[in-house]
Amino acid sequence: MIYLYDGTKEGFFTAFVLAYGDGKARLCSKQAQLALGEEAVSVSTNPARAEKAERRFLQFDRSCISDLNKMLRSGDCDRDDTAFGYFRLLAAFKRPVRQMLARREALAADECIRRVNTEIHRMHGFIRFLECESGALYAPCSPDNDIIDLLVPHFRGRFPEFPFLIHDVTRKKAAVYDGKNTFLAPLDRAEIILSADEERWQSLWKEYYKDVNIPERERLKQMRGYMPARYWKFMPELHR
Amino acid sequence: MISESKLKILTEGAKYDVSCSSSGSKRQNAGGMGNGYAMGCCHTFTPDGRCVSLLKILMSNDCVFNCKYCVNRCDADVPRATATPDELCELVIDFYKRNYIEGLFLSSAVCKTPNYTMERLYLTVKKLRTEYRFHGYVHVKGIPHADMALIRETAKYADRMSYNIELPSERSLKLLAPQKSKESLLLPMRALAEEKLAFKEEKKRGLFLPAGQTTQMIVGASPEPDGQILRLSQSLYRANGLKRVYYSSYMPVVHDSLLPDLPAGQLREHRLYQADWLLRFYGFSAEEIAPEGENLSLEMDPKCAWAVRNMHLFPVEINRAPLEVLLRVPGIGGRSAYKITEARRYTALTFDDLKKMRVVLKRAKHFITCGGKFFGAKNQYAVRGLLAAGERSANAEQLSLFSDRANAIAALTGEL
Repeated sequence: MIYLYDGTKEGFFTAFVLAYGDGKARLCSKQAQLALGEEAVSVSTNPARAEKAERRFLQFDRSCISDLNKMLRSGDCDRDDTAFGYFRLLAAFKRPVRQMLARREALAADECIRRVNTEIHRMHGFIRFLECESGALYAPCSPDNDIIDLLVPHFRGRFPEFPFLIHDVTRKKAAVYDGKNTFLAPLDRAEIILSADEERWQSLWKEYYKDVNIPERERLKQMRGYMPARYWKFMPELHR
Repeated sequence: MISESKLKILTEGAKYDVSCSSSGSKRQNAGGMGNGYAMGCCHTFTPDGRCVSLLKILMSNDCVFNCKYCVNRCDADVPRATATPDELCELVIDFYKRNYIEGLFLSSAVCKTPNYTMERLYLTVKKLRTEYRFHGYVHVKGIPHADMALIRETAKYADRMSYNIELPSERSLKLLAPQKSKESLLLPMRALAEEKLAFKEEKKRGLFLPAGQTTQMIVGASPEPDGQILRLSQSLYRANGLKRVYYSSYMPVVHDSLLPDLPAGQLREHRLYQADWLLRFYGFSAEEIAPEGENLSLEMDPKCAWAVRNMHLFPVEINRAPLEVLLRVPGIGGRSAYKITEARRYTALTFDDLKKMRVVLKRAKHFITCGGKFFGAKNQYAVRGLLAAGERSANAEQLSLFSDRANAIAALTGEL
């Protein structure tokens, strides 16, 4: 049986309680492709039930909710099953299972969380801001995982005096810092007027990128390993 | 705004410097722009596979020194340029704002005199910190023979400073970089280390080189073997508290009868870095890694080579060996060793468990047992052969009829 839920933490726990007894249960929060003869139920979130389950899990492991939050942000297609397996293990052992890396479920969760954290770290470097006429900064991006709001504290720490907006163009939402507060907002398309000097700084940056390279030592495979090509789209130095 | 041609000259003069790390500083934002990011952060990667973290640039490439191996030496016929402090500060601020860079790595050729150059560097960094209110990462290169007072003042505004010892022995330094002396490089390094220690002990406010010091040497321009180089690195780490030693394999950018005409192999540089990691993170000493007069084996990595020389210490039992022993097993790095020590607290690990945990076993299997079972080769000669063969096949290429360009074209045009 496949349990369809809404992708939120409350939804997850509601579905978990329903699916726990079912040995062949799978969890899914997106459009699922059903196999032949497979059945699906859609779970309507029950906040009271979810809270009860959450409290119980917090007794087993105080940091399991932050693990779940990371896993639910993952762009992996099997992330719901990964989270389900992890919490199943937690329910069975009734104590932290994070480091039982010889267990398939714990290892899968560890890797899933690691991938999300890796991308957050990568995006700290690969985000590119465009300077708008008003002085605000705008950065379009399309990360694999749903993480733009987790990027805000880093940039807020270094640009406290600049309002900025990080736009996830595939998920059509934006994380905004207005100089005081941060918030998430749905955003389909952004109309931007660039500042007068933006283009010249970009071309200086491209010039720098070209000059700092040592062409005799080309190692493209290594370059792609560190910086996969899917991130290049929003980085001006990689456009011809 | 700095002109593109000036940026080009000053970048190309700086690009052979290896250091680009931005880690180790937790400088806070105090109004204005920027802060330190202790982990360090790479902002892009160039086609040569190197990361761009800092804006690596020379203040000037107009040099009075005549180091034989250097593109900017005074008798080289190259275009010269000098940037003003304001041009540099503006560049840093506007690149940083767009998240292109993590900070500045400012170096310079020796322009007029060492003191004049150091003063200009000092003024630039001070201006960047005070007028432009920049709190991001700043790495400044120390100029040999400059006055210690100037260097100390600069250190107050920088996150990291470095003196390049350039060549691994005094003899080579005299031959190839006649105006630099061992003392002019090592003395300020030591003075800064002592100053930092004193600063820490007195618990003064503010920061003094929070990311410490590094250095760099050229490998392959002079005849010193790896064993000697590693002993030098070890003493720099131990006695001067350096954070990193960088190795740069020699590239013939200049032709001179005192210099080799061929570049030093990239593999040698790679092996030195592997050995350097063993010194810093794996508890090895230079004496264990290579005898003084010898080079590292190109055939296998230094840890493998050490293990093969010390076969009597292996195999070790994965379920019982302490962390520092696990770290000495070829193929097991920090992350794998951590995974093993965590996972074995809950269950006895088998060979399949290790595979599932993605511990790389290609090399490790010859040196471990899992629950008493051994899966490696039968004797140490076989191990040696297998390890060296593995390394070779990684560099080899499967040839096909069309690997050769002429044949490939002939096949396309239908001649073949």
